[in-house]
Amino acid sequence: MNISNETLMAFADGELDPVLRAHVEAALRDDAALHQRLVALQVQRKRLTQAFDTVLDEPVPDRLSRLLKTPPVATPPLPAAAVVSLAEARTRRAGLGGMPSWAQWGGMAVSVVLGILLGTHLGDQKPESDMGLRPGQLLAGGAIAKALTTQLASEPQAGASVAVQLSFVDKRNGYCRTFSTSTLAGLACLHDGQWAIQQMAAVDQQASGGVRQAATTLPRSVLDAVDQRMADSAMDARAERLARDRGWRH
Amino acid sequence: MAESSPDVRDAIAALLPRLRRFGRTLARHPEDADDLVQIAVEKALTHTEQWRPGTRLDSWIFRIMQNAWIDETRTRERRNQTFVDEEAGANIGVNTTDAQIDAIAVRKAVAQLGDDQRVVVGLVLVEGLPYQEAADVLGIPLGTLTSRLARARDALQALLGDADLGANR
Repeated sequence: MNISNETLMAFADGELDPVLRAHVEAALRDDAALHQRLVALQVQRKRLTQAFDTVLDEPVPDRLSRLLKTPPVATPPLPAAAVVSLAEARTRRAGLGGMPSWAQWGGMAVSVVLGILLGTHLGDQKPESDMGLRPGQLLAGGAIAKALTTQLASEPQAGASVAVQLSFVDKRNGYCRTFSTSTLAGLACLHDGQWAIQQMAAVDQQASGGVRQAATTLPRSVLDAVDQRMADSAMDARAERLARDRGWRH
Repeated sequence: MAESSPDVRDAIAALLPRLRRFGRTLARHPEDADDLVQIAVEKALTHTEQWRPGTRLDSWIFRIMQNAWIDETRTRERRNQTFVDEEAGANIGVNTTDAQIDAIAVRKAVAQLGDDQRVVVGLVLVEGLPYQEAADVLGIPLGTLTSRLARARDALQALLGDADLGANR
């Protein structure tokens, strides 16, 4: 008697009607190989269940349970615009939900960043400073510039003070890369041999737990800047290595 | 657009752990899975009038998650090209048990399946939906669901072998 894989699977999953079920049961009685196939299916299902059941024991993140707190009576429904995309949700997750755009808080970030990085170096730019100025442009320097030039996003370095997450070619055919340190994250594009900062935001050290390697953790303003500039798609590991080895020259 | 009733909100809140679990079968990155849950819950809350009482609430939200996942696949793939999987390095520690190691292997195997197969595995094997219910979630005929599930299980078997039945491999 020949029992197909699909029939046996449906039997294992309790999906067969009584007639077919009796048929399979009869076949199982004198077919050890069939019985073994059945056991394999049962074992597989158990492994699958167990592999994902641990998620049930995890605490539900606040950002999810918050959505379902009963709102005050007068609260209007969520606007449809609240539902956008993974990209949007991802950036909300980055903890900047209340500060929707770079424009709104950019001034604050810039002053903080400049205060931190430039400080007394203004007019006295030391080579090791993490930022420098060129008329109309903020330039990456020091460890950030070094990381942008040498580090591969595809090969994160444990313990590095600067992480690089994403490399791509922008619409003007120049190379751009995102970076983060323990205090800030940004996007820099190569202009005239220097990494010019296109976007930068302060990051909350406690929230991010140090230097993050994944682009998913970049602040919204930085991801938005990436989206605006990216010509095609992010470079894969091979293309990135090639570009790095050529010194980021086409 | 109707305001969602407190009852529905409570019911969805109670489903959150399962929605997160289902999300893990769709998305390969845990954070992406939670994003998917967030998108789906927001959609569900603004469209509760589309849910027909008497039908399964979980299936309805699974369907929203699946659709959102399809919608977002492109963006996700683009963004993830050079992303580092944070979980990859964090998975195995000194105190990892055999069960945890097996769970990691199983999740990795599921992640290697195509979208079509992952979702049926998630709905039937992980979430325990009956075949017909899962077929309805996906809007496909029962026969299609069954053959997709059978192919997915064959592929998983090839990737994982039999943990307890090594001789059968």
